[in-house]
Amino acid sequence: MPLTFIDIERQKNWRIWAFFLILMLLYFVVTAVFTSIFLPVSVHTSAHFWIFAGVIAIFVAGIHFLFSAYDTVNTVIRGLSAQLPDPKDDIHKMLINIMEEIHVVTGNRRKMQCVVIPSLSMNALAAADLKGAAVICITEGLLSRLTRPQLEAVIAHEAHHILSGDCLEATVAASLFGTYAAALENLSDTSQGRTFSSPAFLLAGGLVKLSSLLNMFISREREYRADAASVRMTRNPIALAETLHLLSRSWRGAGFIGSGYEMLCIVNPEVTALDETEGFWADLLSTHPPIRKRVDILLGMARVSITELDEKAKKNAKKNAEDTQKPPQPAYYAMNPRQQWQGPFNIAELGALPWLSPLTWVTTGDRQTVERAWKEPLINAIFTARLVQEEGVASEFTCPSCRQPLVMESYEGTQVYQCRFCSGTLAENSKIPRIIARTGRERPCSERMSALARTVAKENQIRYTQQKLGVDSRTKMPLLACPKCKNPMSRAFYSLAHLIEIDRCSFCDLTWFDQDELEMLQCLIASRESLDREPKELSV
Amino acid sequence: MGGWIVLSVLGLILVWLILIYNGLISLRNDVQSSWKQIDVQLKRRHDLIPNLVSTVKGAMEFEQDTLEKVISARAMAVSATTPATKAGAENMLTQALGKLFAVMENYPALKSNQNVMQLQEELTSTENRIAFARQLYNDLVANYRTRLQVFPNNIVSSTLNFHPEEYFETEEAARTAPNVNLSLRGK
Repeated sequence: MPLTFIDIERQKNWRIWAFFLILMLLYFVVTAVFTSIFLPVSVHTSAHFWIFAGVIAIFVAGIHFLFSAYDTVNTVIRGLSAQLPDPKDDIHKMLINIMEEIHVVTGNRRKMQCVVIPSLSMNALAAADLKGAAVICITEGLLSRLTRPQLEAVIAHEAHHILSGDCLEATVAASLFGTYAAALENLSDTSQGRTFSSPAFLLAGGLVKLSSLLNMFISREREYRADAASVRMTRNPIALAETLHLLSRSWRGAGFIGSGYEMLCIVNPEVTALDETEGFWADLLSTHPPIRKRVDILLGMARVSITELDEKAKKNAKKNAEDTQKPPQPAYYAMNPRQQWQGPFNIAELGALPWLSPLTWVTTGDRQTVERAWKEPLINAIFTARLVQEEGVASEFTCPSCRQPLVMESYEGTQVYQCRFCSGTLAENSKIPRIIARTGRERPCSERMSALARTVAKENQIRYTQQKLGVDSRTKMPLLACPKCKNPMSRAFYSLAHLIEIDRCSFCDLTWFDQDELEMLQCLIASRESLDREPKELSV
Repeated sequence: MGGWIVLSVLGLILVWLILIYNGLISLRNDVQSSWKQIDVQLKRRHDLIPNLVSTVKGAMEFEQDTLEKVISARAMAVSATTPATKAGAENMLTQALGKLFAVMENYPALKSNQNVMQLQEELTSTENRIAFARQLYNDLVANYRTRLQVFPNNIVSSTLNFHPEEYFETEEAARTAPNVNLSLRGK
């Protein structure tokens, strides 16, 4: 008869409390033994001694507790260099949403933060401290490989660690006995084992070992309880079982998530043979119960056998493999504006990408060459279709970089031709003075544009000087073809006073400005004019 | 001397009664506030749907029927006044949304549209929150009922007129498609 999650939680609750009490008693005994080392033997029998030892124990425990549990959350976050999730990132947004959902299901009893650990390992951990802060950390690796329900199950598991006080208890227990263990180690190091002959030390050492065993036992019980609670919240034992199954075969951050945090993790970062074997000794010496056993319990709740789960996982893997084996159409990969390759897309999906432009680098999966998108006739058709949709009047000129028809536009009251894709502008030479003279009438120079213009002009000044000195080391960009006659255009600065690079066709009297170049030129000239004007106004 | 003992025993009993009474009151308030939480999440869903519909409308010309069902179900849910009609409308809305999501799978253009994906994520999250809010309500009701019925609380609760709150029941057990049945809750 499989146990329900409610039974498991109730049973584990009772056990954890009982054993935690024993652990605390053990702490007092260890303190008493330590105190006895520094006190004359005759006092041991008196009641005063025990009272004295008790007071010291409480005092020391209080200080330990404050130091170890006061600021745990920040220590953990800093120690793992974890970051808050980015709401603009789709997967991080999902994490934020899931955190909200968990807050709903727990009735908003406690505010929990969540952070992402920048690591490819797969693990999650929870921490809470005395200030009332609580945090759930999840590695980027786990975050990106789990499905939504699986992630929910993991977060619910960790949230229960926080809500039930597991995190605080674990920190307390670890810090209380940690100091004694460290003290014993130091003493044995400095005395080279001589002090160990003292029976009190032997006793203290034995008790500290016993306490760590007890601690591990409680930690294992906590994991079972958190698993059960996760199912209570999400009602989805399969998702948690699948996650544990997946974790059991992945890198869980051994060496990255430092020791001391392992009790807080969903699975032990260190993979040890002991963890995965059952039996008396294995059970005694591991912080986490065997994953297989945890999965069995979860599957018992869902009434599914582990072989069924395995088969399902295999079927999924096979289906995924089949999906990738026979792509229906040639798959395209495209580089997005952030210089990352995306894909595979079929032609329809490619057409729906908002950032696809004729200058986007694309490649197909089976070919090794990378081309601009306009060179691929199939993709080029997308841009033609987009232009038609936008109902602009296409001119007979084509953009020298995108090879798409230019569209006639009204600019500063006159007609120019613009490319809808790269925002470059083609203007007849006769119209340029008009445009410059009208600068600031329709749209004043934005701060961004003036700053950009100043920077570019300064850079070009350096370049111009280098050119003159014959030390320009930069590779020259290939010359663009004239949009009208297709002959190469000459590249020059607009003037030596306004160092903005333009492309000019001397046959057709046309000038091509790349994106922002025309605006920059306008801003430069406008600012110079105002500079020229100002001193005059002052002198008047 | 004997009088003092009787008095202190009576005092203790009074304190104990007050403790039971206060405990029950706070449990009942928890139950009621978790009921409100469900409404908050339903409202969130109503607010998200117009955005989704306007975003997918262009790409889903051939599914006007599905879209219209979502729109009309939402309108009914928003304007419903009695619990019974509201329950029916929310049910319809859940089903219409489920249908819409299923149909959206057939449109690769939608799947690569970031806006749509973000809206879908928001709606999925909202559906979960609704389900979780109901679940929390039921868990709290179960807890409250137990407290009412155990001895000696049952004496206090029956004399002071505490009523067990009703469970929120769904027609199917499916967590992803929760059905509202507000009529079951006695008011």
